[in-house]
Amino acid sequence: MCDSCGCGDSNVIPFEVHERILKGNDRVAEHNREHFKDHDVVAINLMGSPGAGKTAVLEATARALGSAADAVKVGVLAGDLATDNDAARIRAAGMIAESITTGSACHLDADMVHKGLHRLPWRTLDYLFIENVGNLVCPAVYDLGQAANVVALSVTEGEDKPLKYPTMFRKADLVPITKMDLVPHLPNIDVDRIEYNLSLVMPRPEVLRVSATTGLGIDAWIRWLKAQGRARGTACPTSAGAGLIA
Amino acid sequence: MHEYSLVQAMFDQIGDVVRAQGAVSVRRVRVRIGQLAGVEPELFRTAYDVFRIKTFCAEAPLDIEPGPSDELTLEQLELEVP
Repeated sequence: MCDSCGCGDSNVIPFEVHERILKGNDRVAEHNREHFKDHDVVAINLMGSPGAGKTAVLEATARALGSAADAVKVGVLAGDLATDNDAARIRAAGMIAESITTGSACHLDADMVHKGLHRLPWRTLDYLFIENVGNLVCPAVYDLGQAANVVALSVTEGEDKPLKYPTMFRKADLVPITKMDLVPHLPNIDVDRIEYNLSLVMPRPEVLRVSATTGLGIDAWIRWLKAQGRARGTACPTSAGAGLIA
Repeated sequence: MHEYSLVQAMFDQIGDVVRAQGAVSVRRVRVRIGQLAGVEPELFRTAYDVFRIKTFCAEAPLDIEPGPSDELTLEQLELEVP
């Protein structure tokens, strides 16, 4: 007799589950994370709106690493609904990159990343960027096995984006405010206000003002990356490399 | 619209329970969606209503209970057993 819901149906029984709906994704994400840890690879989940400047930040990263590329090896898995354009741009900038084409999916999940890894010599890397599908909603829900979340936010997106999409920014370990070179053309945008709004939603607000075009803030970005490697006791660049990219 | 892929994951999860328990069908599904889960409850319900047609959940209403944080869990099923 079902005595929990009062339906009186003798063939209906309650069954307690209490499991995360994404437990399957979580399992694969944990598998990815163990792979990264075993091979001293710092994986960064790079998120943001379409057009926030995610790929441009990666291109600037490649330029900044420049001849130090031998000391600090960086690779990219770039997710998009269609085309190989982002991976092609990143390869042209000098880093290894492969695309994850999602078809109609609005986000990457841990299994897509796992399959993408099979096409990239990721074990040789110090840092792996997983450039997520441009979207401020869905990617925040899926663990990929990353060590840190970076959410790029461009000055042209408006000051209140952190308040409109709090779930995404709440998960961010770092927010680079991108396209800073455009600020002189945006009389109604107050970057301090963007930072203030981020501080309202991020548990530990960490923000950098950057421009991939002028190179503003890219040195601080590289320092942040290196700190991620040190914090995890991995991917610590050689002193020669550190000198070249500092 | 990741709610559809979440509902798909939940159906895999429910299918595992149905098989393990030898259930004939599911009579009720209860989930918890926290307010910081990044999931819109009404979209989740719409996706559920699309997916459940002609499945073991065809006759199972969906109860969504709120939560304070980022919970996204399948809490309880009511199973019809032989």
